[in-house]
Amino acid sequence: MTLLEIKDLHAKIGDTEILHGINLTINRGEVHAIMGPNGSGKSTLSYVLSGREGYEVTGGDILLDGESVLEMEADERARAGMFLAFQYPVELPGVGGMTFLRAAVNARLREAGKDEVDQLAFVKLVRAKAKELGVSDDMLKRAVNVGFSGGEKKRYEILQMALLEPSLAVLDETDSGLDVDALRIVSEGVNALRGDARGMLVITHYQRLLSHIVPDFVHILAHGKIIKSGDKSLALEVEENGYAGLIDAAE
Amino acid sequence: MLPNNLQQTAAALAARDQFAATGLPGAKSEPWIYTRLQDVVVNPAQSAQASTSSEAGLVLHFDNGLLVSDDVTAPAGMVIRPFTDADMADFAAYLPDDHLLGTLSVGHVTSAIMIEVEAGAQISDLLTLRFTANVADQSAHPLVFIKQGAGSQCRIVEHHESHAALSAPLIVMDIGAEAVLDHAKMQADTDSTKHLSLTVMAVAEKADINSFTTAIGGQLARHETHMHLNGEHADVALSSIYMARGTQHQDMTTRMLHHVPNCTSSQLIRGVLDDTAKGVFQGKVVVARDAQKTDGQQMSRALLLSRQAEADAKPELEIYADDVVCSHGATVGELDETHLFYLKSRGIEADEARMMLIEAFLLDTLETVRLEELRTSLTTAIQRWMTGV
Ligand SMILES: Nc1ncnc2c1ncn2[C@@H]1O[C@H](COP(=O)(O)OP(=O)(O)OP(=O)(O)O)[C@@H](O)[C@H]1O
Ligand SMILES: [Mg+2]
Repeated sequence: MTLLEIKDLHAKIGDTEILHGINLTINRGEVHAIMGPNGSGKSTLSYVLSGREGYEVTGGDILLDGESVLEMEADERARAGMFLAFQYPVELPGVGGMTFLRAAVNARLREAGKDEVDQLAFVKLVRAKAKELGVSDDMLKRAVNVGFSGGEKKRYEILQMALLEPSLAVLDETDSGLDVDALRIVSEGVNALRGDARGMLVITHYQRLLSHIVPDFVHILAHGKIIKSGDKSLALEVEENGYAGLIDAAE
Repeated sequence: MLPNNLQQTAAALAARDQFAATGLPGAKSEPWIYTRLQDVVVNPAQSAQASTSSEAGLVLHFDNGLLVSDDVTAPAGMVIRPFTDADMADFAAYLPDDHLLGTLSVGHVTSAIMIEVEAGAQISDLLTLRFTANVADQSAHPLVFIKQGAGSQCRIVEHHESHAALSAPLIVMDIGAEAVLDHAKMQADTDSTKHLSLTVMAVAEKADINSFTTAIGGQLARHETHMHLNGEHADVALSSIYMARGTQHQDMTTRMLHHVPNCTSSQLIRGVLDDTAKGVFQGKVVVARDAQKTDGQQMSRALLLSRQAEADAKPELEIYADDVVCSHGATVGELDETHLFYLKSRGIEADEARMMLIEAFLLDTLETVRLEELRTSLTTAIQRWMTGV
């Protein structure tokens, strides 16, 4: 079943067009990986998908479950099932972690016409999931991402994903900054969410992550376009030969 | 307790003459550069409208500027009484010379109450000063004189919920050596009310003062506070939060006067301004030549929620001593777009996300409040302001 359809997507930041016609379809149950050189537009794509202000779609469409999301605000898209694990998670001084997590989960529940979470049960749930992902109680007590190490921030992103159970998860370089053990733990967390209900778009530079989270498809993004798609072997090819050959072949 | 003939005392007559002679500050008056006074109605109320109030607890209720509380039983160690004529002169002596707000309300005093706390008395009851009014064309000029004896402890909260042309309270606190004071002011007058207040504290050695102002009401409000650090090793924390929207105007003006060595003062000011509201912070820290080892900190931050809102800040250090640690600063900013996006990307609606970030902005200042029982009502007031209720 089609979850996400990106059709000839053009987008610009300010006056500069960054995405030059992207086509990509993700069905439920599938994991797609996107690789590409620095500055090729991977994070831009993730922001355009999640509805960040300042990223203007100048052509094409994005359909989630068959509905265009272009007119939806970032928060509506999130409640419709999208989740972005940020390449650079944002520190929110003064915003308590638990308050933040509860607000996010409650927003989703309200949208679904359900009751808000029970405080105590929620704290228990968060603690349990946090433990699985190696997020300490101390981190849960602090302000969102404030004083977290790079790797801790990435784990905290995955904790949020686990709590929000999105239908489409976009992971932007979740592996960067993770040590080997953390990479395994986080990947297990992500794999636990794999299933028929969900689709995933995993942005990475490294084959290493894709040996943990094995993708069904791999796409190469260069200069704002997908220049090649294939199966997981494409990631290995990139690892060995780099992007130059692929880019030359595409041009 | 009804007003006596305080308006006929020498102090009041002199103040009234002075006020009549100077009038309202002109456009060039330095202390009023950012807060222009226009259409200030000085029409002292003659009578209260609320019938005598017998609120439970230790409450002094001023309605239209007149004390209406009946049978207030002061706890042991505290005396509450009306001013004598001599008190008027004594009170006026604490006020800065030729100060508009001083002459205005001493000259037009509507009622005046003395609160004396015996040396060593540990008053655990929270003393509430409640100021209400319901007269759109009159002014209220209540005077409150608090003398806190050496080593005493006292907890005071002011609630301002007036609907009047002008509410202009004068508060003088004389705080004895090693005395501890927790003080809070909650100003939520109606949005057609002008609020012009002057609070003067004279602080003796080793006194410990925690004072917190929350200002969320009024058409125009000026909260002026003068702190005289007269004894060594005194410690003063003076924080405030103001929030304004529509055409509201909030002014926080402080004078922190370090007259002697070894005192500590800290001031945190946070303002949130929406629509075309205006916020003013004028903070002056003066360190006298002898006041070595002074630690004086002052930081004001304003958050503009709208492009039309305005924040003016004038932090000033006037330091005549050479061995001091003083800092001041003032920033004006907007909500951070990346912060908002992060919250929204988690499904949190824009309004709620903004509220979370405003609360976060106020948090470190809120945490300085020492009156524990006030925390909840403060948070509630702030949340109510944000939801526009
Ligand atoms: N705010 C902005 N204004 C102008 N240009 C921008 C802005 N943000 C990104 N860009 C440009 O858009 C291009 C794509 O950036 P993007 O962050 O999407 O790359 P990326 O593929 O995620 O790179 P990396 O692998 O380094 O994370 C880059 O050339 C970048 O300089
Ligand atoms: Mg990137």
